Amino acid sequence: MDTVRVALAQVAPGLGQLEANLERHHVLMGEAREAGANLVVFPELGLTGYLLQDLASEVAMRLDDPRLADLAATTGEMSAVVSFVEESADHRLFIAAALLEDGEIRHVHRKLFLPTYGLFDERRFFAPGDLLRAVPSRLGVGIGIGVCEDFWHLNVPQLLALDGAQILINVSSSPGRDLAATNEVGLGTATSWRTLMRTYAQLTTSFVIFCNRVGVDESISFWGGSEVIAPTGAPVFSAPLYDEGLFMVDIPLADIRRERIGLPLLRDERPELQVRELSRIIAERAGLAADSTSERGAAPGLDIAPGDRTPHSTKQDAAAAGEMAER
Amino acid sequence: MTIADAAFELPTELAIDTDIARRVIKDFVGGQLRQAGFDRAVLGLSGGIDSALVAYLVAEAIGAERLLCVLMPYRTSSPASQDDADEVVGLLGCQSELVEITPMVDGFYGPHSDASTLRQGNFMARMRMSVLYDRSVTWGGLVVGTGNKTESLIGYTTIFGDSACAFNPVGDLYKSQVRQLAAAIGVPDRIIRKAPSADLWPGQTDEAEAGFSYPELDRLLFWRIDKRRSVDEVVAMGFSRELVERIDQMVAGAEFKRQVPPIAKLGPRTAGVDYLYPRRRPGSARR
Repeated sequence: MDTVRVALAQVAPGLGQLEANLERHHVLMGEAREAGANLVVFPELGLTGYLLQDLASEVAMRLDDPRLADLAATTGEMSAVVSFVEESADHRLFIAAALLEDGEIRHVHRKLFLPTYGLFDERRFFAPGDLLRAVPSRLGVGIGIGVCEDFWHLNVPQLLALDGAQILINVSSSPGRDLAATNEVGLGTATSWRTLMRTYAQLTTSFVIFCNRVGVDESISFWGGSEVIAPTGAPVFSAPLYDEGLFMVDIPLADIRRERIGLPLLRDERPELQVRELSRIIAERAGLAADSTSERGAAPGLDIAPGDRTPHSTKQDAAAAGEMAER
Repeated sequence: MTIADAAFELPTELAIDTDIARRVIKDFVGGQLRQAGFDRAVLGLSGGIDSALVAYLVAEAIGAERLLCVLMPYRTSSPASQDDADEVVGLLGCQSELVEITPMVDGFYGPHSDASTLRQGNFMARMRMSVLYDRSVTWGGLVVGTGNKTESLIGYTTIFGDSACAFNPVGDLYKSQVRQLAAAIGVPDRIIRKAPSADLWPGQTDEAEAGFSYPELDRLLFWRIDKRRSVDEVVAMGFSRELVERIDQMVAGAEFKRQVPPIAKLGPRTAGVDYLYPRRRPGSARR
């Protein structure tokens, strides 16, 4: 496949309205197929709505749910990414995004990072996933899927790219906030996301597909602004803010090769260096090794030495303040 | 630093993108009504900027023909306020109704009451709330709140009075931002320009009563609350420590007005504690 036609389904799901949202997915997948799309992407929890709270268990589906099988059966020649609440066999609830291909669920990504701060309360209602995998796809290139907050952690897009993804897909339910007039696009959230996604595209030399929902759940409004970004970091397409729509974007896969040959950042990554240093940091944080960045006299696993807290205390003062082991 | 404008002072850090604000509020108002099974709205129009702005926003969201504005003056209310409210109704072309609350208030307190202005003001606010919720039934629309973020934070509001509503489109906007949005949407200049007032007695103004200006107060609240600056940090920015401490106290003291009253936890699942559903869940629409 030389060019992948991406259909971005920037939809406004009904909160808790699983059946209505399923129907909408069927309709839009039909429209995407008719428009010649190779890949259709729906936003985070597009099948359920976002602010579910105790509704989460009521709209959860197991992976063998016939409604998911029905959805997969309609993909035909397309690939599709859909998102829902997944209930595992041991009854944990996950925010899941599934890659549907050839009539089946090809891959499921369970959201790894559940924001529980500010206006977010996800960890109260959901379990975090434990696996991050790039997967081959019928598009001919590897795909890496993350859900919203997953891409607020640097290592996620990088790991996906190192694992073979050439198209990174982030599906989101990002609530818009901060309308300060000084923002690039009038919305602080949009400015942050654009900066992040363009940076990831450039640093991983991959296409990045960002699909964010629109609509309103209770107090919060979702801002849309879905984007496709080239491996150079340049935006190929930016959907309007707040408007619902099915947007078609063609991406030439040759751009990936051209960028990776010209700017071989991914070739030059040093995963073994990361693993080595991460192993050291993990051991130091756990108190299993001497912490090279903590104050002298700090107890194992703690960065701060007891005693004089004045900013100008010398190492001698710190050492004298406690009976901690010398390193 | 301020953005110069003929009608009002807008601190630079408070300036918002009014196009996006209007879009978000439009979808919010439409969504709140639709999800509740309503397509009409009702609000109390005082002649002040907050309720005028909300009337414009609601009309923009659902059409003026679906909006009922209720004017509810007391005998001491300024006639100019009613003129301003009438002008808004005329410009928008929405339905309106005049309900004098004087008989309700005087009927309770009697003609020679020595009740404090605080008691009377609160009672008036609650009478207006009662009228609006009655008209919610006859008009078949939800009550839209008009309180702004500044007055909510400092507690310059009557609990179960003017703060009572089905939803509030402007409750996250400081007074300065209300002015900016009002100017953008076309609220008459005179309403934007006049001194904010609870209109309980002739000549009363919020700023004279409280002893600060809205732009200054809004900036302080923005830095303390939205931007999480410490007392020392805002004092270093130029705010007087006395003002900062006084406002902090007002904000803390009004916490109860911003929250749903607590229920003693006794059973296995308790509303708001461990029974947590969206207000607008499937099946929640009343009509």
